[in-house]
Amino acid sequence: MSSTTDTRPARRLTVTGLVTAALLLTAVYGVFFGAPEDADQGIIQKIFYFHVAIAMVALLAFLVAAIEGIRYLRERDPRHDEIGSICVGIGLAFSILVVITGSIWAKASWGTWWVWTDPRLVTFVIVLLLYAAYFVLRSSADGERQARYSAIYSVAAFASVPLSFYSVRVARSFVHPVVFNQQGANMPDSMLWWFVVGQIAMIGVFLTILQLELIQRRADRALRRVKARLEAAA
Amino acid sequence: MNEYVTAAYGVILFALLLYVVVVGLRSARLAREAELLARLVEREEAERDGETDLAAR
Repeated sequence: MSSTTDTRPARRLTVTGLVTAALLLTAVYGVFFGAPEDADQGIIQKIFYFHVAIAMVALLAFLVAAIEGIRYLRERDPRHDEIGSICVGIGLAFSILVVITGSIWAKASWGTWWVWTDPRLVTFVIVLLLYAAYFVLRSSADGERQARYSAIYSVAAFASVPLSFYSVRVARSFVHPVVFNQQGANMPDSMLWWFVVGQIAMIGVFLTILQLELIQRRADRALRRVKARLEAAA
Repeated sequence: MNEYVTAAYGVILFALLLYVVVVGLRSARLAREAELLARLVEREEAERDGETDLAAR
């Protein structure tokens, strides 16, 4: 047996972290100094770049959690459960950020913090609450049952994601704007370019957090193993 | 800059910083536990050495 430890996760984290930091810096610079000001909303529209990017990454995290759920149910590998639960956590945190930044944008743009009649806003909160319940369910079981229930729930809860995504298109939203439709992006290339940079940066943040969490859990597991061995020997 | 834009980006920055603090606290706990385990191992080694010395005499 080799006594050396696997250093690849740490190296991967370093690379992802550095690239993400550079991309974030570039995106913030581009949003404020590169992208033109919106003719209709003015500077308030600058919230769009990160608000939408964070929303997309939240939904991406839920998608990864659903995929990991399916993989867990097929392979029964606890690693898939671990990745899935981390992804739900990240998706939930990002969703909360989306609601907060969206509310600030709504106040600036529509004059109100929240509109209960808008399908996009309401369905997004439903998605958020559904995924918050994931952790309640997770804490109610242990071991293999916990992983199995979590996997099934993350797959089932993902059904709410397309509901939120398409609600605004199907219901022909009342207040929430639709920027991306079948004709493409409803904005000039000079704005779209910086949005894409921000979006990639946010995906980088997601990957960095995911790797950091995996490394921390790995360290935690290793410590528990040593502790158990010492207690057994004592 | 508009106060709403500042607030929105401030929230994002605050969330990132909060996460850094959480990770820092978790790392500190891991370091504490690793230190405790290292001390336990050292103490057991010392006890074992003491027993070996007694047996040799």
